[in-house]
Amino acid sequence: MGDLVVLVKAALNPELVRSSDGDRLDLDSVPLKLSDIDRNAVEEAARLKSILGGKLYSITVLTWGPASLREKDLRLAVQEALAKGVDEAIVVADDSAVPGDQVLTANIIVGAIKSLGLKPDIIIAAEESIDEGTGQIPGRVASKLGFPYVSFVRKIDVSDGKIIVERDLEEVVEVVEAPLPAVVSVTQEINDPRPPTLIQIRRASKKPIRTLKLSDLNVEPVRKRAIRELRIIKEERKGVVIEAESVDKAADRLLEILESEGILK
Amino acid sequence: MKILVLGETSRDIGESLSAISSIEGDRVVALFSTSHDEASRASALGYKVYHLNTRNTEAAYKLLVKVYEAESPGLIVSVSTKNPRDVLSRLAGLLDLPLATNVRKISVGDGKIVYERAVLSERSISLEEADPPAILLVMPRLFKPIAGEGQGSIEELEPSEEPAARILEVKRKELGGARIEEADVVVGVGRGFRRREDLRLAFELAELLGGAVGGSRPIAADLKWLPEDAWIGISGKRISPKLYIAVGISGAPQHMAGVSGSKIIVAINKDKSAPIFRYADYGIVADLYEILPILIRKLKERKGLG
Ligand SMILES: Cc1cc2nc3c(=O)[nH]c(=O)nc-3n(C[C@H](O)[C@H](O)[C@H](O)COP(=O)(O)OP(=O)(O)OC[C@H]3O[C@@H](n4cnc5c(N)ncnc54)[C@H](O)[C@@H]3O)c2cc1C
Ligand SMILES: Nc1ncnc2c1ncn2[C@@H]1O[C@H](COP(=O)(O)O)[C@@H](O)[C@H]1O
Repeated sequence: MGDLVVLVKAALNPELVRSSDGDRLDLDSVPLKLSDIDRNAVEEAARLKSILGGKLYSITVLTWGPASLREKDLRLAVQEALAKGVDEAIVVADDSAVPGDQVLTANIIVGAIKSLGLKPDIIIAAEESIDEGTGQIPGRVASKLGFPYVSFVRKIDVSDGKIIVERDLEEVVEVVEAPLPAVVSVTQEINDPRPPTLIQIRRASKKPIRTLKLSDLNVEPVRKRAIRELRIIKEERKGVVIEAESVDKAADRLLEILESEGILK
Repeated sequence: MKILVLGETSRDIGESLSAISSIEGDRVVALFSTSHDEASRASALGYKVYHLNTRNTEAAYKLLVKVYEAESPGLIVSVSTKNPRDVLSRLAGLLDLPLATNVRKISVGDGKIVYERAVLSERSISLEEADPPAILLVMPRLFKPIAGEGQGSIEELEPSEEPAARILEVKRKELGGARIEEADVVVGVGRGFRRREDLRLAFELAELLGGAVGGSRPIAADLKWLPEDAWIGISGKRISPKLYIAVGISGAPQHMAGVSGSKIIVAINKDKSAPIFRYADYGIVADLYEILPILIRKLKERKGLG
């Protein structure tokens, strides 16, 4: 006990998806960034560290090969976590791994926790990532470790050896009590992460990043699903920006358009 | 191939059964609910129902492991709501099964499960295959639920042990009943609005256009300036009005995916480089506090109200 682990993913940035050849998508052309809600996870982990004490690790798994091409994006994503209060980053990068196979990702995360001898009180992840968007990694990690799991959490209270959380579901909010160690996935609403300050960024560049390979963890590169084809969803929109000499004229123009589109009679 | 369908309601189960209607094989159902009425409605769909009689996701997971062992399904399907995602991610971890969400199409060929799903915050479609057994979560409200075709049996399953994570309280959320999915015109509000009171500008505009007001995730889920059933986007509602007017919304992919079915998209934003202008039919670069009162006045004049 005494460790906190936050799971962060250097995810493909959906805002920078562009077609190169027709509507086919080449994943190697999409830059990575720290997945949005992982920022909330890091912020919450830093807050819990100030309550629980202990050392705060972040674990990132990069299976997108060739990992060497991704090194810069990956370092930036991890450094953002370090700047926000993580003590040490553990990066697993291996060219032999299959892109995004979550069976493998979960095995690697659990393998890293075990082989580094981490004894987490709480493992924090985001409710879902911006590229895969499945929210399955925290649940997988919890059942592999045999830890209790609370998902979609928007509030965490800690008191002697347990947490009391609010799970934010579609129609209800559930208040749940769980003993530690536990796995928690957090929603975007749990906090309002501020970008790191320059001083925090500078300090982060001195913090350790440990890089590991699959062979260091005794994890086999399994492959449970395969991508046959990736296509960009094309949005056909007119993209007209109404230019007018005044806001009043722009409003007139918009009303004319709505009339000609048959919306205003 | 035997298929296990998990769901919290008979409607969700009906949607999953509809998603797999072209696949051959026996079906069994697991209902994750404490309602006995829901169990009988689920059994009216015509298949055997295992009733996981609990609210607790950890308890439901343990019961589902038993169902899995008894039935050995090649495919597990659910609608992608939060509690089934929680329960199935645990099962996937326990057995190292592949799991995919946001699935829109499923088939089986050459012993493989082939499916299409949205990835990258719905900017892209991925056509994938997995070896059975696999878990697929389909998009909610995409498939029309199948109609009941008989009477299946119900097997009651009660949790045998107290789960480690216990539910202390369940609070119902207040919903507004805005029905933005059915409106012909929707005015969408974003963080460009500075105060909750200012939303009255959007409500007035919507009323003059005979429409409803919805909002981005920060407005509905975080600030709670609108009820959550007015939340538009991949994690909220998907709308397909004739006209969507986005006001003070930046145009994040997670928001735009929820409005892609709109016939016409109009964007009002004061930042001319806001991404929303790339995904709109008509854009106006203006301060909402300046242009909304003008639009409201002009619409009133047209209606002879001014
Ligand atoms: C997994 C995941 C799921 C998500 N699901 C959803 C979802 O379902 N729905 C959703 O909406 N978001 C969702 N989000 C959040 C999304 O990424 C954006 O953060 C969010 O949509 C931004 O909301 P916004 O446009 O209101 O605010 P901002 O991005 O802050 O944009 C405000 C805009 O208002 C403009 N503005 C400011 N002042 C004025 C003014 N006076 N007049 C005119 N314009 C002005 C600004 O130029 C800016 O473009 C999700 C995120 C993740 C990671
Ligand atoms: N490759 C990864 N490395 C570290 N953490 C991950 C990885 N993939 C997913 N996670 C964590 O699990 C969350 C949910 O991801 P996903 O299951 O991809 O939607 C992410 O936001 C991270 O917190």
